[in-house]
Amino acid sequence: MRNPRTGWLLLSPTLIILIIFGFMPFLYVLFVGFNEWNIFAAEDGLRFNGLDNFRRLVFDDDFLHSVGLTIRFAVFAIASEVVLGFLLAQMLTRKFPGKSLFRVIHTFPLMVAPIAVGAIWRLLVIPGFGPVPFFLDRWFDIKYQIGSFPDQALWTSVIMDVWHWTPFVTLTMLAGLSAIPREPVEQAKVDGANRLQVFWYVTLPFLRPILLTTVFIRIMDAIRTVDEVWMLAGGGPGTRFTGIYIWRVVFPRTDYGYGSSISLITLYLTVVLCWLLFIAISGRRKGEVE
Amino acid sequence: MKKLFTIVLLIAFALLANMSLVTADMHGWWADAAAPYAGTTIRGVSESTPPSNYVADVLAAQFTELTGINVEFETTSWDQMYSKAINDMEANTGIYDFVYIEQDIIYSYLAQDYLVNLTQFAADNPDLAYEGYDESAFTSFADYFKNADGDLFGVPMEAFVKVYLYRKDLFEDAEIMAAFEEEYGYALAPAESFDQYADNAAFFTAYGESMDMDLWGTTVQGSTGHPASTYEFLESIGPSFGLYNWGINLDAGSAQSANGGALDGDTAVEALSFWLSMLPFAPPEATSSTWDEVASSFAAGRAAQGWVYGENAAWIATDESRSAVTGNVGVRLPVTAEGVIDAAMMGDGYIGYYDGGAFGVPHSSRNKEATLLWLQFIGQESVQAEWAAAGARITHTATFDDPLIAEQDTKVDGYYTLLEEQGPLFAGAPPFPFHAQVREVIDPFIQRAILGELSPAEALSQAAMAVDEELDRLGYGM
Repeated sequence: MRNPRTGWLLLSPTLIILIIFGFMPFLYVLFVGFNEWNIFAAEDGLRFNGLDNFRRLVFDDDFLHSVGLTIRFAVFAIASEVVLGFLLAQMLTRKFPGKSLFRVIHTFPLMVAPIAVGAIWRLLVIPGFGPVPFFLDRWFDIKYQIGSFPDQALWTSVIMDVWHWTPFVTLTMLAGLSAIPREPVEQAKVDGANRLQVFWYVTLPFLRPILLTTVFIRIMDAIRTVDEVWMLAGGGPGTRFTGIYIWRVVFPRTDYGYGSSISLITLYLTVVLCWLLFIAISGRRKGEVE
Repeated sequence: MKKLFTIVLLIAFALLANMSLVTADMHGWWADAAAPYAGTTIRGVSESTPPSNYVADVLAAQFTELTGINVEFETTSWDQMYSKAINDMEANTGIYDFVYIEQDIIYSYLAQDYLVNLTQFAADNPDLAYEGYDESAFTSFADYFKNADGDLFGVPMEAFVKVYLYRKDLFEDAEIMAAFEEEYGYALAPAESFDQYADNAAFFTAYGESMDMDLWGTTVQGSTGHPASTYEFLESIGPSFGLYNWGINLDAGSAQSANGGALDGDTAVEALSFWLSMLPFAPPEATSSTWDEVASSFAAGRAAQGWVYGENAAWIATDESRSAVTGNVGVRLPVTAEGVIDAAMMGDGYIGYYDGGAFGVPHSSRNKEATLLWLQFIGQESVQAEWAAAGARITHTATFDDPLIAEQDTKVDGYYTLLEEQGPLFAGAPPFPFHAQVREVIDPFIQRAILGELSPAEALSQAAMAVDEELDRLGYGM
């Protein structure tokens, strides 16, 4: 019979690290979020101010705008990544010349650090120097200036994110597709199902868990996006996402109390979004048991 | 004759011998003073600028060779520099032994008691006080880094003004001059009024378009994703119209005109309106440009005139590997509204920003003694001239008279002379202990004005209200 103490003993290093680096900082942020604290205030130190920080953010137009932008960014980026990732994964399940080379090249963006991705894209799209605005202007007479048009900055961020993270979705989808047993697919074909019906009634239900996991990971990543977009556009209009807004409040503005409260609300929003998505994709309702 | 020759030769030998003794003495002093700290590594952080890069590439190596003390110097982005330094000093982690103190943040650092009093520290450690280092040799820019008792908290490492640069090859081209005169009815010249500036900008933009050249009429430091745009408006354009201290009345604790401030006043609106009206005449990268990109745009020959930080003047005018306009750079005082220069001369105002910074030692440093040696090394007179030639920065009064700088001055159209003679017309940032906090509040409104989402009056009115709210929150309000 196994000794339960051995299990706890083996788990303890992970638990200790999680408590020190995960749980305790969270508690600290929770504490600071209910205080007013700016190190450059006339009166230094923390002052408990109850729910004032949370009340303030409800009326903070910049914060609300950043939430709206972040949701737009996340929805468009993740939807595009899932569709593209699935199509690429489907393609990679088949044989075609140069498949191995394509798979390697396709995975390259994943290996690049987010800050470098931002730098690469900035060099591509910076007006006056980058090739993208140059050719868009020359060939299509399109004025492409991410500093002047917030929508262009937002869409550029979405495209950059899709370029960076679609390979991740492809790889997870590929793993999911490879794990689907052949029998149900063949059975559906024998029963006369067309390709769309096979996808909808057989492939998609099998892929659901992996799809859910992938989308969860991408939602969490997208909501806390900072470095890539920071490098690309500095968090200006069109790209002042919640993560960048938090950075500005906490660091240059040194408003630690308010910044902590925004961080907590953002965490809450992420959990709620993931939960809603879980309900939507898994189709579970309250009280249902698997 | 032979006797005379022998005497001259002997004198020359004696002088040479004396000089090498002095040099050996000097080297010996550094080695002796640094002996207890040899092998120590001191760490610093600064913004990546021409003067900082010279420190990292040249001075750090010289100091290590002389003392055996290693210098790890991190040159990073402006935002990161502040975050790293403030986090380190606030948390007392002691990662950095010296930090860059921009002139505008010194008041915040002093209010928080982050920095070591260098004058006092040197007095307390006479063995470490180098006789070739003299605090009184610095220009008056060093006063920004002193407390009320005159003690120094940072060794000035760069100081420059934001000047008006123009392309001489364009302004002195006979055909262009004739075309301008025909269109505007007066002679083309570097701008001395805002109307003239606007005419120049419009003319050269149209000229660039007609000639299918990548040429525009002016620079604008108008990044919509960086505080650089707020800085250009508040510290360069605003003062040139007579808007001082960001329009914030510190005594009244307000930026609103109704309460004694001026950020939403007529002068501020006029200044912002003028600046925004220059955007159509600026290169397309203007709304993504910080101070670095503005310098790069001008160096690439993409603007006929503009407001450019002086630290870039030297390389733009002389470095052929980086600049397409070498030998063609003209330097003048920035354009000002009527009465602004007179007010500046009377000490009642200023015409633009006297920028720069110093290296200070945080209380959290674990190697204060070794760092004091390092700061004296970079603060001594003998290293100043080459540093000034490389980075267009001058912090020592004697540097102005150095032959190297005199030679460089002719290549940079008298920039160094302008710095020496007209420098007092400029001023550093106002003494706010809440500099970054309030500037962060103003940023979004300036950026929305650049995008055309708010009119100048709306942007400044909302910014002034937001500033007052922030001042209240920080405890500096009415």
